[in-house]
Amino acid sequence: MVFEIARKEFLDLLRDGRLRWCGAIIAALLLAATLVGWRSWREVSAERAAAQTEANRHFDEQEEKNPHAAAHYGLYVFKQKPSLSFLDPGVDPYTGVSIHLEAHRRNEAKDRPVRDSTAIQRFGELTAAVVLQVLLPLLVVFLVFPVIAAEREQGTLRLLMSLGVSPRSIVLGKLIGVTAALGLIVVPAAALGMLVLLAGGFHSERAWPHAPILGVAYSLYLGMFVVVSMAVSARCKSSRHALIILMALWIMNTTIAPRFATDLSRRLLPTPSSLEFQSSIGTELKAGIDGHHVGDERLERLKSELLAKHRVDTVEELPINFEGVALQASEDFGNEVHDRHRGRLEKTLGRQDTLRKALGILFPTLAIRELSMALAGTDNDHARDFADAAESHRRKLVRELNRDLEVNGAGLGFMYQAGPDLWRSMPRFRHRPQELPEILTRQTLGWVSLVTWFAAGIVLLNGATHSMRVD
Amino acid sequence: MLLYTILKYELRLLAADRTLAVVVLLLSLSVGYGVSNGFAWTEFQRRTLATAAREEAGRFQELKSRLAAPGSRGVPADQFGSTLGTRFAGLPPGPLAALVIGQSDILPYVTSITTTDHPSLVNDVEIENPTHLLTGRFDLGFVVVTLYPLVILALSYNSLSADKESGTLAQLLSQPVTLRTLLLGKVAARGLVVIGIAVAISVGGVLLTAGVPSGEKLVRLLLWLALVAIYGAFWFTLATLVNALGWSSATNALTLAGSWLLLVAVVPAIANVVVRSTHPMPSRVELTLALRTASDRAHATGPRLSSRFLEAHPELVKGAAEADEFAVQSLAVQEATEQGITEILEDFERQLSRQQSLVDRFRFVSPSIATLEGLQDVAGVGSARYRLYLSQVASFHDHRRDYFRPRILRKEPIEANDLDDLPAFAFEEESLGSVAGRVGTALIGLTLPTLVLAVMSRSVLRRYRIAGY
Amino acid sequence: MLEAIELTKTYGDHTVLDRLSLHVGPGEIYCLLGANGAGKTTTINLFLDFIPRSSGTARIHGMDVAEHSLETKRHLAYIPEQVNLYGNLSGLENLSYLSRLGGRTDLGTDDLLEFLSRVGLTVDTAGRPVRTYSKGMRQKVGIAAAIAKRAGVLLLDEPTSGLDPKSSNEFSELLLMLRAEGVAILMATHDLFRAKETGTRVGIMKHGRLVASLDTSEVGHTDLERIYLEHMHD
Repeated sequence: MVFEIARKEFLDLLRDGRLRWCGAIIAALLLAATLVGWRSWREVSAERAAAQTEANRHFDEQEEKNPHAAAHYGLYVFKQKPSLSFLDPGVDPYTGVSIHLEAHRRNEAKDRPVRDSTAIQRFGELTAAVVLQVLLPLLVVFLVFPVIAAEREQGTLRLLMSLGVSPRSIVLGKLIGVTAALGLIVVPAAALGMLVLLAGGFHSERAWPHAPILGVAYSLYLGMFVVVSMAVSARCKSSRHALIILMALWIMNTTIAPRFATDLSRRLLPTPSSLEFQSSIGTELKAGIDGHHVGDERLERLKSELLAKHRVDTVEELPINFEGVALQASEDFGNEVHDRHRGRLEKTLGRQDTLRKALGILFPTLAIRELSMALAGTDNDHARDFADAAESHRRKLVRELNRDLEVNGAGLGFMYQAGPDLWRSMPRFRHRPQELPEILTRQTLGWVSLVTWFAAGIVLLNGATHSMRVD
Repeated sequence: MLLYTILKYELRLLAADRTLAVVVLLLSLSVGYGVSNGFAWTEFQRRTLATAAREEAGRFQELKSRLAAPGSRGVPADQFGSTLGTRFAGLPPGPLAALVIGQSDILPYVTSITTTDHPSLVNDVEIENPTHLLTGRFDLGFVVVTLYPLVILALSYNSLSADKESGTLAQLLSQPVTLRTLLLGKVAARGLVVIGIAVAISVGGVLLTAGVPSGEKLVRLLLWLALVAIYGAFWFTLATLVNALGWSSATNALTLAGSWLLLVAVVPAIANVVVRSTHPMPSRVELTLALRTASDRAHATGPRLSSRFLEAHPELVKGAAEADEFAVQSLAVQEATEQGITEILEDFERQLSRQQSLVDRFRFVSPSIATLEGLQDVAGVGSARYRLYLSQVASFHDHRRDYFRPRILRKEPIEANDLDDLPAFAFEEESLGSVAGRVGTALIGLTLPTLVLAVMSRSVLRRYRIAGY
Repeated sequence: MLEAIELTKTYGDHTVLDRLSLHVGPGEIYCLLGANGAGKTTTINLFLDFIPRSSGTARIHGMDVAEHSLETKRHLAYIPEQVNLYGNLSGLENLSYLSRLGGRTDLGTDDLLEFLSRVGLTVDTAGRPVRTYSKGMRQKVGIAAAIAKRAGVLLLDEPTSGLDPKSSNEFSELLLMLRAEGVAILMATHDLFRAKETGTRVGIMKHGRLVASLDTSEVGHTDLERIYLEHMHD
């Protein structure tokens, strides 16, 4: 019985010309978006990898100079493209991709790709993620809104029930039929995604556990739309009414909620302007140790401590290079100031993220957006992780260079010079993206939202099935 | 007269229906939220610009008293030019900026101008949560481009089909009324309500955020209203055409929702892909590396560059017996470095202006693109205005450098009385004429498809089946 | 008065109305009888110019309805099986709208209430939204619209089907009243009883053709049913 209904529903949907067109358009867009995403991934990741190699070479091939001068010259590090970013580029275009690591200061990531874009960038990009998050749910709404409501309108529901078909089998049959029709788009798309992933030249070991989990998340999301739409169709008197309710739900989720969340979190949790932020750091730094001016009180204290420790009278007699110690002390102080300010800012930004994730409980599209970006490695957290990794590398690099000055440059002051051997012995920048468990725990709210909505949809549908009216 | 009767009763019908109340309420709430967000953002920008100006003034004041003190020997020109005398070049929010945020959250609006760094390489971006940038803001521009069509479609997707389905259509048409007059009356009633509200709310938004407009602002406001009205007319005409095809209300709703999604989201997104892949931007990553390569090379060949630099710029050393060797070398290195990347920088500009002209052509494909760009232009957050700002910043930078270079070479320090001669940056607003010209094109881009749809509806309506098979 | 001369409607090869000729003068009620699909509604729709004719002529007050579509509608009123009105407006507002569209902008509220009371709707009822009305009450608003318009021609498409006997009877009374005022009435119906009671003439249609036309005064109730069934037989 259920199978018969499913078959009828499936064939009905396939015969509907409008839906065939919608489905074809969406499938074509999904295909195009995936291929465009893959192509740009290939170009960008090749470029970034090459850029990192060249930046390393720049650093290694410096002439003989004081290690601190090398620290000022610094090193550029570039954010590498994660494999799944071809499906969901997320915030990647909106975050800086390169960071200049140099002595004394923590630089912001720069070269946001979006800086060079036209006004239509504001309409968003065509990515596989957008098709899956926005367009496919609309197709689901279009497919599902009439399945029960229209039968009620036409009186065929009355007919079916008079034949002794239980509401349960009707709903179940239709659910299977609709899902099968949707599968005609989703399954080939998933297969294509898999194919691209396997043959596209990715570091597949980083994509492997993520991709199937991403698939689960999207299945939950789309499944939620199917179940909720079905429940609405079962409850509504007319199919027009069902369509209006579902369209409203879709618009709220995909169009209004994201921007609403943006401005809400900006208002509730404001961030300082860049100018304020930098100038408050600058003021604090100025008040503290400055390695270049040996008149500072704290520096004097450091000096007398060292002299006492080594039981000598002048800096020149020290078995180490005092400049190296002083520079590192200034570095440590600067880091502390930066950490404090940066920590405050990051806390605010993190709260904004949490607010958005919390709103995801109300609007599942917000939840899937965050989940998808997190699994693709293109969310705020990943951008922040990259910046943090770069910063800790900067500290390590500067410390090692200062240390070399301190240990090997005894008695030479700033006259000490080191060569390429030292540059080449410096640690390499390697950024390992987050591990899966961490990604998943950071996105707990997203999973809660999707599962809750899915479950609520089933409960709703169940309720509607039990109390189904014939007209 | 007849049209007036239809209009009056349609308005009465709309008023009796809950839909109108709900829709108007939602529209008003969105507009209120949008305008207040835009206003908060412009205030934030103004505060930041004021902070920058205060910091700059304070720094100059302090410097002046230091230089005026007896025994001061001035500040070396190179030190002044590169750090102490840094000027902020700010882009003030546009005349009606509270209405649209546009790209202003992505593009830097304060640039610090020194003699050393080329302004297009300065990275003064505002702190912002990246997801916010990705999503975009809930401003009036978003409400007009995206939500306003939805309101129109929600009110008019069944303007004719509902009457046909309920049978009132036959009743009305048994009176001496043509279908065309009837439909016109229905559309006019809805148009009056929605466009009227949109216009009233826009005016209210301007009054609240920018005060009573006069002169140039008034013209901009009028252009804004024209865009809103014609964009609304486009969607009404589309709804009319779909109704004239005589489908059921549900089919109309599906068709119109699909068209909305296509025109507001899909076509612009495709346009974005097309624009970016036909005129790809050079990569900033490449630029960063090229800059470093050029600077390394210039540093390595420093001494040779110095003599070449002096040969190339005899005017700079004129009068100075012997130029400071270190200063010459650093200027020479700076110039050589910049020369190393001019090509890429020019490539950036070239590609961006190509992209822009392609986008301009896309205005005729998607009314949403035309409207968004038009609204941004009117509000004063558009890309043309931004390019104007960049070019003013560049020439300000060049001016300053021309001032400082000879002084650096001649080892002439900057003294107290010099400080007053140094100009501050002031953005010169783009001319109303060029704004009106671009918006005029956008209006044409909106009017053409509206007319085409209107003509189509007229001819389709002739085949409308009131009864029968 | 209204008349059809050789009025024909075809859809491709399918003829739904075949050379219909009839004439209804002032004070006459012509009842069209026939099975579903016999062409009754098509005839009414042709007189309303809701569908284009294939050949022949339909005239109202001597004017061709296809050529003078709007002009002829000034003189007619139409009452279908279900008089469809705006549920959110009151009976009075609906009537006011329809009569204004019909060109009677001179009528005040009192006039309209007067018409409504003539068809049996009280002032109290007239102010209520139409969605609360019964089917019979809606039909009465339709009649009131015809009165308000001073329509010389009334086109009725199965107006009494689905009405309870009392409402049906009230409706017939109203028709007789209009007939007495000299209105020409064309009514498609299944109700042989009402056709005999109120009609002056009866036409029987089959497969788009008028197969019989009788004067009701000439036949009794049982005769009409017999004649009708005979025609339906083959």
